[in-house]
Amino acid sequence: MKKAVLAVMVVFLSLPVVAGDVTGKVSFEGKPAAPARLRMDADKFCAMAHKAPVLSEELVVNKNGTLKNVLIYVKDGIGGKKFDTPKTPVVFDQKGCIYKPHVLGVMAGQELQVKNSDNTLHNVHALPKVNQGFNQGQPVPGTMKKNFPKPEAPFKVKCEVHSWMGAYIGVFSHPFYSVTGDDGSFVIKDLPAGEYTVEAWHEKYGTQTMKVKVDATGKATVNFSYKAG
Amino acid sequence: MFKQRAKTPVESRNYAAFYILFSGILFLGTVWSVWDEVRTRRPWKEYQTTFHELSAEKLDSLRLLSMQEIDSSQVVELQARLKNAEEGVASEEYVKAVSEKDHLSSGLDLATREWRFARSRSDAAYYQLQKAKLEGRDVAPFRREVDEHEAAIAKHLSEMTELEKKIAGLDEVVNKYKDALAKAQIELQSLFAEAEAYGSKAEKMRNAPIGVRQVMLNDFELTPFQEIKARIDRCQTCHSGWNDELMSEAPQPFTSHPVPELLAKHNPETFGCTPCHRGQGPALTAGFAHGEDDHYWETPILRGNDVYATCNSCHTNESVLKHAKPFVAAKQIVFESGCYGCHEIKGFSDLPKIGPPLNTLTAKVHPDWIFRWVRNPKDYNAHTRMPNFMFSDDQAEAITAYLVSVAKQSSFSFERPRGSFVGGSAAQGKQLFETIGCQACHVVGNATRVRDARATSFDIAPELTRVGSKVSPDWIFDWVRNPRHYNAETRMPSLRLTDVEARHIVAYLTTLKDDRRFPLANLDLNNAEKIARGDRLIREFGCAGCHSIKGMENEGKVSVELSDFGRKKVEQMDFGDTHELSEDDTLDYRENADGTVAVKHTWRGWVFGKFKNPRLYQTERIVQKMPLFTFNEEEIRLIRLLLISMTKDVPLPSYQRAYDKRMQDVEAGRRLTMTYNCVQCHQLEERGGYTVSLYEEAALGPPPLPESQGAKVQEPWLYSFLSNPTTIRPWVNVRMPTFHLTDIEIGKIQRYFLGMSKQDFVLRDYAATPVDQKYVAPGRKLYEVYQCAKCHPTGNNTEGVTAESLAPDLAKAYTRLKPEWIIDWLRDPSKLQQGTRMPTFFTEGQEAPDPTILGGSNEEQIKALSTYVWILGRRSGTVASK
Repeated sequence: MKKAVLAVMVVFLSLPVVAGDVTGKVSFEGKPAAPARLRMDADKFCAMAHKAPVLSEELVVNKNGTLKNVLIYVKDGIGGKKFDTPKTPVVFDQKGCIYKPHVLGVMAGQELQVKNSDNTLHNVHALPKVNQGFNQGQPVPGTMKKNFPKPEAPFKVKCEVHSWMGAYIGVFSHPFYSVTGDDGSFVIKDLPAGEYTVEAWHEKYGTQTMKVKVDATGKATVNFSYKAG
Repeated sequence: MFKQRAKTPVESRNYAAFYILFSGILFLGTVWSVWDEVRTRRPWKEYQTTFHELSAEKLDSLRLLSMQEIDSSQVVELQARLKNAEEGVASEEYVKAVSEKDHLSSGLDLATREWRFARSRSDAAYYQLQKAKLEGRDVAPFRREVDEHEAAIAKHLSEMTELEKKIAGLDEVVNKYKDALAKAQIELQSLFAEAEAYGSKAEKMRNAPIGVRQVMLNDFELTPFQEIKARIDRCQTCHSGWNDELMSEAPQPFTSHPVPELLAKHNPETFGCTPCHRGQGPALTAGFAHGEDDHYWETPILRGNDVYATCNSCHTNESVLKHAKPFVAAKQIVFESGCYGCHEIKGFSDLPKIGPPLNTLTAKVHPDWIFRWVRNPKDYNAHTRMPNFMFSDDQAEAITAYLVSVAKQSSFSFERPRGSFVGGSAAQGKQLFETIGCQACHVVGNATRVRDARATSFDIAPELTRVGSKVSPDWIFDWVRNPRHYNAETRMPSLRLTDVEARHIVAYLTTLKDDRRFPLANLDLNNAEKIARGDRLIREFGCAGCHSIKGMENEGKVSVELSDFGRKKVEQMDFGDTHELSEDDTLDYRENADGTVAVKHTWRGWVFGKFKNPRLYQTERIVQKMPLFTFNEEEIRLIRLLLISMTKDVPLPSYQRAYDKRMQDVEAGRRLTMTYNCVQCHQLEERGGYTVSLYEEAALGPPPLPESQGAKVQEPWLYSFLSNPTTIRPWVNVRMPTFHLTDIEIGKIQRYFLGMSKQDFVLRDYAATPVDQKYVAPGRKLYEVYQCAKCHPTGNNTEGVTAESLAPDLAKAYTRLKPEWIIDWLRDPSKLQQGTRMPTFFTEGQEAPDPTILGGSNEEQIKALSTYVWILGRRSGTVASK
């Protein structure tokens, strides 16, 4: 019996894995509303931390007409496959009374280092629906370790001291997710060959889904487009 | 054929054919009866087999999943190690060591034997030596002999030690290999342990025996003849997966119980299933067990939300059950709709009348308005709780005449001279109305957020969209200044308006007019005959059930008692002239295109129809009086749920939760908070808090009252707050009104909060709480480092901070909070109040954020902070001043 189990395991492990990258862009059509200026007067430390005006990151349209801070992830098609949780932690920083990054993805169980780089009181109030939430004060600069054990759609994280602070975290059972940056592009690496549903999530404009097929040659492109309004 | 046979003499007739035929029938009959007995009538056998297979399949797939989860690199590594270890055991060094060890061991055995022999010989020689000594012989030869033997012993012993040392050395070599092998084997096994465990469970399931599973409750209830009656439930015979987490999505009858929280208190293994679900416990086929196919079974299974009806068998006195939301909702509807005004209902006695007294009506409204209201209250306000009695114009006129005649005898006059209301600004009044909390209960126009949040078909307070056409400005002024002046028992609280504020409110409310015009009704109000008729109608229709009316103080309840209504037989119900709706129809009640109505002629159909139209079963000869409540269908189903529960079948006390003093206190408090509608604004026991829907930020609305409320605030503070509310959160616009509660009522609320927190009412001097001086200085330091004042400003120092980020002034904490609560709160705020904005600073098992104070100990820092907060207000000033 045990021998048989081992034999099955060995066969299972020695299967060749064909994988590819999914790349794409998230474009934005129409005229975006001008981002609001964040008023940080409530806390002198925050106000002093910035010389230039700080703008809301709720809707950031890049110069090339693409949308920043869109979380792209494989929604369906992975099946019951399991992936090892990365040993490297994800850093979630509070700097100048702004969350960095504004949108991030982590794998279920992966260590999240919540960092306070500011010399003022922050508190991190995470509001997940599936995982256990927390609301923890960080009065002095430092780092605390957290993790979310279950996959979950992006949820909000806010600071109860600084009402303008907000960020979103998505938790996944696999490592296939990415967030668009300053050029609106994304890469999902090493996705095994197969057919998938890829979803894009934006905090203001919601979700869009696309089908994608990653074949043996291992390259695929998906482009999303959000419209103003 | 038979004719011919008759001619044959009896003696020579052949019976073989008959014999074969009948014995064939008998044989088949026997086979059938055995089959019927063993299979057909025992479908549970099939169910159990299927369940075992299903369970085994699920365990198998779990096993596979668990296999997939195993870290592949670890398996490879362990296998390599195992192989290595196996090779080690076959290596030359190991084999040599083992054979050498065997060789040495036999040497050791030999040496040990020799050593023993030598010792025996030595003993014998020594005996001879002693004997010679006593007998006075020469001892020298004996001594020599003893010495020889002793020398032999020493020699063998040293041989043995030598061998043992050698063997130990070899053992080390042998064990090194053996241990490595064992360790690799164990580690590999433990990697697959979970999977193996699933595998063996699956195997066990496949081989599990089948049989009837039953729960016997020997002394569950009493028969109608007051004899103890047992209950036997065999439901688990088919519903095998009731407590199996794996079966949460399995098909029936294998599904696991959807509300395991309820099972924690009503364990089916000791409580059975039918006490909650009903049905015929001992039966073993679905139709009979559920009781639906057994025409003579009185209590068939309850489906859907109706199962919550049976909560009421034991929990009659309770209005809140944590895991029985439909039960709670049903009770709230009955409570708020005042059904108990006309019907005697178990669990709803001693409740106040829900309507206002009607003795001084003309001071408030015009007789024409009374007339229109009596005729159809829904015409003025579609969401009023007052039902429509469908009175004719004549009847309405008579009732109006009686009410006006009563009002004439009253000596009511306004507190201020008429005209005191003049001078307000409607715009400011509107702003006040929308900020200080009026909208918590009263709807105006499209501002229906609170109504929508409540999601009931009726409002808890009158809609004011047309109030300017209903009441006079003088009355509004008098009322909003002091509602208790017009109605000493009103639940409308005082919002402590100044005269100026009251004038603004009057100015605003008088702009809210009814845009419809009504011709004068020309009522004949002084006609003694009409007044007498009104008197009779009021008594007949039971108006005094909800309103106190002069002259009607001793009226009883006009309608039937409902305590055993759930047991009423369909044969006892009159369906009037209604058409019968087919049993298979998806609806209980159907309005046909031709205007006729069909209902199912069942208990449930009757009740549904009755609520849809209370005069539905009225015929030419049978008059019905129940008024029309405009409940929505969901509400009707909930009320019906409660009616289902109205039976006298109650388990014996040993099966019930004791309704002890604390529970009584809590329940009394719940009723009071429902009467004064505290739950409209404050979330209490997961109910209510509807007003919060008015605010973008919940923190700007009325605060929730968590179960820990009694552990939180000091009793003297709560007393003075409830009798005269003071401001705790100055940035919140909505005001806690003054309810003019009596001391008894305040006591009920105190005990309610304390009861929820499982605390007793203790006389205590909070000011005398000892302060440990050693914590003061570190407490102050922590207060600064953790920047408490950022959200908890003391005094009026709130510059810059946005309102929703503010929290109460901690300088006032020592007069309001219990010192132990402050400690619990600091430890983990969200545990005491879910969703609070207050963060926790301390994580169990981790160092405090500032490790330099009090050695970074969480508990010490919590003590220090709570000590500092406790003395903060008692020292002269604010933090800044120190």
